[in-house]
Amino acid sequence: MKEKLKECVHWLRGKGVNYADCRYVRRERELLKVSDGNVDGMSRTREVGVGIRVVAEGAWGFAATANLTAAEIKKTATLALKIAKASAMTKHEPVLLAEQEPFVDTYRTEFQKDPFEVPSEDKIGRLVNACDALRKSKKIKTAEGSMDFYRTGKLFVSTEGAEIEQDILESGAGISVIAFDGKEAHRRSYPNSFGGDYATRGYEFVEAMNFMDHVDRIREEAIDLLKAAPCPDTTTTVVIGGQQMALQVHESCGHPTELDRVLGTEISLAGGSFMTIDKLNKLKYGSDIVNIVADATVPGALGSFGYDDEGVKAQRNQLVENGRFVGYLSSRETAPVINQRSSGAMRADGFNRLPLIRMTNINLEPGSWELDDLIADTKNGIFFDINKSWSIDDKRLNFQFGGECAWEIKNGKLGRMFKNPTYTGITPEFWNSCDAIGNKNHWHVWGIPNCGKGEPMQSAHVAHGVAPARFRNVKVGVSK
Amino acid sequence: MIGREKLIARLQQVLAKSSADQTEIVYVGNESGLTRYANSYIHQNVYENDSRILFRSALERKVGVASCNSLVVSDLRKTLEDSIEIARQQPENPNFPGLPKPAKYKSLDTFDETTAGFSPRDRARAVKKVIAQADRKKFTVAGSCATSCAEIAVVNSLGVEAYQPISSASVSIIAMSDSSSGYAAGTSRKVTELDFTSLAKVAVDKCDRSQKPRQIEPGEYEVILEPPAVSELLEWVNYVGLGAKPFVQKTSFLSGRIGRKITSEKVTLYDNALDVHSAAFPFDFEGVPKQKVMFIDKGVAKGVVYDRAWAKKAGKKSTGHAITADDSSEGAFGLNIFMAPGTTKRETMVGKVKRGILVTRFHYINGLIDTRNMVLTGMTRDGTFLIENGEIVGGLKNLRFTDSFTRAFKSTVAMSRETERVNSWWSAVGCMTVPAVHLGSFRFSGKTEF
Repeated sequence: MKEKLKECVHWLRGKGVNYADCRYVRRERELLKVSDGNVDGMSRTREVGVGIRVVAEGAWGFAATANLTAAEIKKTATLALKIAKASAMTKHEPVLLAEQEPFVDTYRTEFQKDPFEVPSEDKIGRLVNACDALRKSKKIKTAEGSMDFYRTGKLFVSTEGAEIEQDILESGAGISVIAFDGKEAHRRSYPNSFGGDYATRGYEFVEAMNFMDHVDRIREEAIDLLKAAPCPDTTTTVVIGGQQMALQVHESCGHPTELDRVLGTEISLAGGSFMTIDKLNKLKYGSDIVNIVADATVPGALGSFGYDDEGVKAQRNQLVENGRFVGYLSSRETAPVINQRSSGAMRADGFNRLPLIRMTNINLEPGSWELDDLIADTKNGIFFDINKSWSIDDKRLNFQFGGECAWEIKNGKLGRMFKNPTYTGITPEFWNSCDAIGNKNHWHVWGIPNCGKGEPMQSAHVAHGVAPARFRNVKVGVSK
Repeated sequence: MIGREKLIARLQQVLAKSSADQTEIVYVGNESGLTRYANSYIHQNVYENDSRILFRSALERKVGVASCNSLVVSDLRKTLEDSIEIARQQPENPNFPGLPKPAKYKSLDTFDETTAGFSPRDRARAVKKVIAQADRKKFTVAGSCATSCAEIAVVNSLGVEAYQPISSASVSIIAMSDSSSGYAAGTSRKVTELDFTSLAKVAVDKCDRSQKPRQIEPGEYEVILEPPAVSELLEWVNYVGLGAKPFVQKTSFLSGRIGRKITSEKVTLYDNALDVHSAAFPFDFEGVPKQKVMFIDKGVAKGVVYDRAWAKKAGKKSTGHAITADDSSEGAFGLNIFMAPGTTKRETMVGKVKRGILVTRFHYINGLIDTRNMVLTGMTRDGTFLIENGEIVGGLKNLRFTDSFTRAFKSTVAMSRETERVNSWWSAVGCMTVPAVHLGSFRFSGKTEF
């Protein structure tokens, strides 16, 4: 395949293109879903193809095919060239790409157990046992579990001489339970909602989740929610658990620091960003203890890789330093606008999608607090656990997020449970009210496999290293 | 495009080799082009030619699913064997109802040659028309123009043989000034039905009229929701409330409420994939004929859509709303949602509002806060206006709403007699068809800075 791709870029170079790259992608997925003791579905998906990106006459074209014959690849390259020339019909300025060393390299995910080699009986047994244990109450309506594995091989070749091969393995799993009393229905999940937790690890990542150690807790909490009071409508201190902090970082820091959004090229679907270029190095995004990095080099994290889909090496870059906004996620095309080189954040959801600026691992660096001390230090407030709902405006300012459940904090202790809890705020006001962040003992990188962006829609695998954190004067309880 | 005869023959050739008790093959192949523009130039322009071939094999009640994107016979046979091997490793699934038997499908004209042949240059010319309208006001525009054609086929070992070619075209337009934005969009099976210039004029006019927006305090307001806003609400209502899975699992707002009045009698909500006013399609991804399904009839809760597996769990029959087998645990899904029109002329609706808000569209709605009460939250976007004494008096800065769908639609004052087809996230195979809606009470819970 490498020879076919090299031949293709050689041909495009001969056609006088400004730049071209070819990506071959082979992706396999195994998805297992268990519900109430039955296997609801087990599927294996295999997709293979080539995507060709061209800059000609100073404008972009992209075409992709699943037919891997040399003739079809050349036909697809011809089409990408034609499309670039059509794009040039509305061009203002020619596309300029930041300089980039053309790497010739390989990268492979490190793992212990290949999930595709683990017998189905083991996977099914783990989920069925957990679901059976979750259903040990008449108030449980449904118990569900899932496992999800990806194996992706990529080959990247460019007119600049890059030749990069990568093999990335990803594993994810989770369980959840719904309690119902004839009137209300409430869900609790472990280790996270919407499919659980994901990582660039092998099956050992799933084994370490130890579902059976957590089934009694989430079953009883789901049942307790049936009797819980509604979250009060008030302004108070909130302590946000790790899983919900991951969502908070994702929506209010990850997306608004994507430089393509800032420059307006995602307006048509996902929107823009309040973190405009004039605010770089000036905006007090958060309090002094807030430090956020984009780090694609964290071992085992879902947003880790060797090279992005433009051939840029994985990096660690500061986005927020001591509360000040200092950096963007960028690409080779957008980085020159801020006189920088690419931060290595361009990734595509398969061979047939154009790379876009995507989050890598966007991590809130750990603070100094033990969680128990943080709760004990909070006179009155609410502790939010595990994300349930999310919404934010198209410049990423006004957000409203909901949790599966919350607990009242009174005189430094967790008290009664609240159902359908929500909190809302304006991004910089909220982050400037952060006065405590959990330490590295409570810091975990949560993998999120479904970050949507772009047209056609692309789903990216990203992650967020976070610990629980405390915020003051937050509006809570808006749920009707 | 492969064509019925050649495609079905290829699938039947592989199906004949199956050693499973029952086998199903679903083919979804598409050629699509999408041109995105922002800051009034084309910045992304893509084409793909891809397919998915899904095999579902059953050994008695053990079921396995595998898929690939290659039509090479050896790849198809390997994927078939994978599906059988997966089935072999499964425990019995008592909820597997077996594959459907052959059925007759309604004949529908869903393919347009002109749309299928719409080239990158044609799309660029369409975008230039949009840019030209924005240039007249010195606004910029962003959006997308997409055209595609696809073939969907279902064959199974019990004799089902379904095939349908489709085409689709869509455009979205956001016009922007320094202080405002305006939106318009269109979707159709035929690209010639999209009037790019007229839609651009609507977006530009909304942007113009909402310049220098004023801030308004959140609270309860009378609203006019334009079709894109209505559609965005219904996308989430559909996702969390109108399918068999949430209904059976009791998380749907309809669970336990069938036969009860839950909204104003002016509200009728249904799915009908056989209505050519929508993006019609005759069968589902199991090869079961599509049926019209009523969700809410004159305010009264009526039912949900089913596939075969969830129908068996609920003791019902499939309504022809299965999605692909690799996603089947998510249950059935309505792809052609209609909200029935009313009798009010759309152009007269604003005139009947004393003080209220006109919402062009919403952004980033979420309906998972409290699904039993169908509570939704989201932001307004791209054209929010203040109405006073029956007239639009200016643009408003955007607002967050948080409200229950059923509570808000109990206050329905009127539906427009005109409906619009609106793109949804499943637009390649369906769309929303909805009127503008006048609600007497809608709760805004927050505000933002623009």
